[in-house]
Amino acid sequence: MAVNAKRFVPTIVRQSHGLQRFMLLLGFAIIAVFLFIAIFAPWLAPYDFNADRTADGVVFGTQQAPSAAHWFGTTVGGTDVLSRVIFGTRTAVEVILLAVVLSGIIGVPLGLVSGFLGGWLDRILVLIMDALYAFPSLLLAIVVAIVLSGGSSSAFGGIMAAAISITVVFIPQYFRVIRNATIAVKVEPYVDSARVVGVRTPRILRKHIFSNVSSSLPVIGTLNASEAILTLAGLGFLGFGIEPSAAAEWGYDLNKAMPDASSGIWWTGVFPGLAIVLIVLGATLVGESLNDILNPLLRNRGTDTTSADEAEIAHQFEEVTGDEDASVEVRTAPVAPDPKRVVALSLTNLEVTFQTDGGQVHAVNGVTFDVAPGEVVAVVGESGSGKSVSSRAILGLLPSSAEVGGSVTLGNRELLGMSEDTLRPIRGDQVSMVFQEPSTALNPVYTVGWQIIEGLQAHTKISKKDARKRAVELLEMVGMPDPEHRVDYYPHQLSGGQKQRVVIAMAIACEPDVIIADEPTTALDVTVQAAILELLLSLRERLGTAIVLITHNMGVVADMADRVVVMYRGNVVESAPSRELFASPKHPYTRALLDAVPHLGRENGPGLVDANELVLKVDDLVVEFPGRFGQPTFRAVDHVSLEVRKGEVLGLVGESGSGKSTIGRTAVGLQQPTSGTIDVSGNRISGLSDRELRPYRSRFGFVFQDPASSLNPRMSIGQCIAEPLHVQTEMTQKEVDAKVRSLLESVELGGSYAERFPHELSGGQRQRVSLARALSLDPDLLIADEPTSALDVSVQARVLELFTELQHRLQFACLFISHDLAVVDTLANRVAVMQDGKLVEVGPREQVLGNPQEEYTKRLIAAVPVPDPVEQQRRREERGHLLTDIS
Amino acid sequence: MTTAEIMAPTGPPEAEPRRRGGLSPLTRYLLVRAALLVPTVWVLVTMVFLLMRVIGDPIQAALGGRLSPEQIAERKAEAGLDRPILTQYWEYLTGLFRGDFGTTLTDNRKVSTILVENGAATLELAFWSLLVAFAIGIPLGRVAARYRDRFPDVMLRLFAILVYAAPVFFVGLLLKLAFSPFGWPSSGRASINTELTLQDVDPQTHIMIVDAFLWGDPAMIGDVLKHAMLPAIALGLLTGGVFLRLVRVNLLQTMRMDYVTAARARGVSERRVLNKHAFRNALVPVVTVMGLQIALLLGGAILTETTFEWKGLGYQLAEYLIKRDFLAVQGIVTLIAIIVGVTSFLIDVIVAFVDPRVRF
Repeated sequence: MAVNAKRFVPTIVRQSHGLQRFMLLLGFAIIAVFLFIAIFAPWLAPYDFNADRTADGVVFGTQQAPSAAHWFGTTVGGTDVLSRVIFGTRTAVEVILLAVVLSGIIGVPLGLVSGFLGGWLDRILVLIMDALYAFPSLLLAIVVAIVLSGGSSSAFGGIMAAAISITVVFIPQYFRVIRNATIAVKVEPYVDSARVVGVRTPRILRKHIFSNVSSSLPVIGTLNASEAILTLAGLGFLGFGIEPSAAAEWGYDLNKAMPDASSGIWWTGVFPGLAIVLIVLGATLVGESLNDILNPLLRNRGTDTTSADEAEIAHQFEEVTGDEDASVEVRTAPVAPDPKRVVALSLTNLEVTFQTDGGQVHAVNGVTFDVAPGEVVAVVGESGSGKSVSSRAILGLLPSSAEVGGSVTLGNRELLGMSEDTLRPIRGDQVSMVFQEPSTALNPVYTVGWQIIEGLQAHTKISKKDARKRAVELLEMVGMPDPEHRVDYYPHQLSGGQKQRVVIAMAIACEPDVIIADEPTTALDVTVQAAILELLLSLRERLGTAIVLITHNMGVVADMADRVVVMYRGNVVESAPSRELFASPKHPYTRALLDAVPHLGRENGPGLVDANELVLKVDDLVVEFPGRFGQPTFRAVDHVSLEVRKGEVLGLVGESGSGKSTIGRTAVGLQQPTSGTIDVSGNRISGLSDRELRPYRSRFGFVFQDPASSLNPRMSIGQCIAEPLHVQTEMTQKEVDAKVRSLLESVELGGSYAERFPHELSGGQRQRVSLARALSLDPDLLIADEPTSALDVSVQARVLELFTELQHRLQFACLFISHDLAVVDTLANRVAVMQDGKLVEVGPREQVLGNPQEEYTKRLIAAVPVPDPVEQQRRREERGHLLTDIS
Repeated sequence: MTTAEIMAPTGPPEAEPRRRGGLSPLTRYLLVRAALLVPTVWVLVTMVFLLMRVIGDPIQAALGGRLSPEQIAERKAEAGLDRPILTQYWEYLTGLFRGDFGTTLTDNRKVSTILVENGAATLELAFWSLLVAFAIGIPLGRVAARYRDRFPDVMLRLFAILVYAAPVFFVGLLLKLAFSPFGWPSSGRASINTELTLQDVDPQTHIMIVDAFLWGDPAMIGDVLKHAMLPAIALGLLTGGVFLRLVRVNLLQTMRMDYVTAARARGVSERRVLNKHAFRNALVPVVTVMGLQIALLLGGAILTETTFEWKGLGYQLAEYLIKRDFLAVQGIVTLIAIIVGVTSFLIDVIVAFVDPRVRF
């Protein structure tokens, strides 16, 4: 902290802005003044703090009002108030610095170790620290102060005693903050990936955990400093502080001034009191501003994706179109409006601009489309295309930092520029919304019935009883089982699919003309997705509602849409009837997008490899997680046996909670099996301790799902890739550098990327780096856990291509874990299907995905929408009622 | 406690995946909380016991110099302080179970009597100051959240920092300076006259305002209220500033949740969105952290009581500390430890009623 302080302060000031910067600078200024006073106290103060007469022996007199000789007056003891305040500053600063440093030195390592190691040590420490923390801190400090003040009356002894009493109070605070941060950081994929390559615990604590946790230290440090001053003053006030003859102390002076207050003598108390207020104010201003600046939760978010992601998509866009100008719209539909067409909702030249910390961001630049009653219009696009922003602009649901232009008409009413009061009756009544994530779109503290009724009562005069009856009807209409009962459930008591049904029930409650569904199935498993899409279509049939479907999933588009609007960076690049668009896309971007989408059931997928060398052997694996108090244990993996051979890719598929990721983690020793065995290249690795496992770590690599968190944000790309080499080999720095460069080149990133930091890279680039790191030790086995599911389709296609190329060249065995059957279909030799921890079916790719034997596999495959409207319609008819009973 | 408040986990807790079987979640939750209460209180009382033994021999500390060595030895044997430390510890623990917190050395009072007489005063002060704190913190916190980064918000945040930065005894001093010229009472719980009269109330609750009501003299009720005002404001401002910031920051976070947008999207009025959706959810973490504030309130009560000569637990404790009567200190601190433990359990129960995810 001290080392970085020089760089830290200017950086922080630069990151702040406006009011925040003012508060921060004011805080720094106040602290600087107090530090100055503390250092130069003997030169600044007119007299010594205990002097009651001048050097010539002239007595000051007691309780003298402020005068030229004594600016702040004199105390009841006849000493100069100004001098006492100045020397008091010195005492306060000494105690605070000591206390903050001491409690940090003790609390931080304790928190790190306790949080990282967990187990009984952690439990005991937490119990003690929590008990200390809950106890009134001042009381604790007093007791410790009495214990320590065993007659020590020297200035240093007194200050030390006060500092230690305050330290005891603050250790639990550092401990708690650091422990919680450690627990949060230690489950980050970059910590797991360090463990996978065999990095030792002290290095993990230092390099991966402490460097990321330490960002909260300046905040706790400054906030603790302000508390330390208050505690010190409290101790002094009660008479348990530093011996009065040893040093001047503000709290003590205030105590002595208390009887004066009733007789109107203000100067003895007001000046030391103001000194306390000012110094605490300074420290708190700095601490709070730091917290505001460093806490990502409180930052103003512009758009959801990083600029690097958008740049990557833009790069691909330019490549396919040969043109940066995206506004060339290709329209297949007749430009002149069809006079017979009745339009429910229409957007004309919609523009949205955000005012963000980094300036203006044009999220939407002139979007035009409309939707007719009973029609489904799909709006598709990748990250940063502005599709969600457009949909929220329709109902005026954007934050106040957004400026909206153009026109949105509902029937013949203009919605833009409408006042909140005129718009409110339209929301939910004529236009309603379905959100992406049903678990956050429902308020957790109210029952689902309450929330449906609230929507009804917002628009119609309806009695509570009738509203409730209607809520049950609505739940029944959206296929909720046992609606009379479930109407009184809280959201967390329902499954993801059921929650989305509730959200849809709310959306149709007032029989709206238009439903805007923003990625309504993205958060759901594929079989649930099929059921929800089915529901939306049937509601359209019954109610004749117009649906605007925002999605990134081309399969969903092919399944649902009558017409499609393709968006790129806030512009519409093409809009056409669905079948036409898929059959003959006009815009090169649309073509590239469609090409990038993996298609389940393509003919020319990979076949079996003929190799006998067994690399991964999972035998009768069981993994259980102990239930919390009063709950049964949870069996995540239930007697699973698998084999992967050299040069082979085994696709492990299943829905969420099927146990597929647990198998991957167990296979590399991140999780211990409950029973069963795991062998990698003939070595038994299950049941080994971290230490025993370390020599085998070079045999396997791991690629994690989330590109945002799989690389340590504090390490450069070069350091990330080099870490396994440093840990597992004896290579010199020069050899390591050369190897890093060649690895970066093999994943199609230049050697110059070694100097960059993860946040400067896009999601696709980061996954390439993860791949390079996983392959740095030439492993026999690579485990890839959903490596592309967080990427946009065009980026995913490139990463998968690279992966396949590397796998063919290096011939490693691969366990490829994915929920996306189409992705697995493009690269796996064999496929294993899991459900509820059990292995359902395993076999060659074309057999499992082409001609499945098990009922569950059939359902899973039938539920996947393929990106081709004609084929998808055939599949929909074929699957019949295979999917009806899924919620 | 600002660190606690600022670094506290923000946002509502994650919903647990539901598993079948076992106890009902509410029962499990309450059992776990109750079970945690025991070790917490045990750690605290053990700590108090050990610290008090580290200080040294309590009899020597309190009476040394006033009695001859023989007399001290006699008193020690009488109090059982010459026996092995483990025996003493066992006696201390079993005593606690019987509700026996010991007897003071200097004035031979039972600590349990101190709880009844002085504890009532602290309870009364805590009640008044919580009233002030809620009245300040909740409405102003909502205003600040509503006008985020605009003038009212900036002023209120500055106000919150200022009341935090001013020690309670300094605020007390300023209040005394401001009010004593008008003859407003600025120390004690009531005028001598009132206090003497209320000694005869039957049943005497020791909670002055209740006693005054039982006596039924409006002048006395007024007198008691007048005396309570300044201490309640001093302590209430401190706590209220913390509440203000808690309410503000949690409201800001719930305001950006999807369910708030979703409620707006179904046409719910803005006022209702704020009250029913944002505010109700913001309460969950607020209540949790408020529980931690109870400890702050007790710590602050020591200072407030000393400032205003309010004869509560804290005032009494400070007196015994100065007299070096460590048996009394041990008893009172143990009592406070138990109060802290039980309060945090009660807060957990309240959380269960605010947050259905805990209940079901």
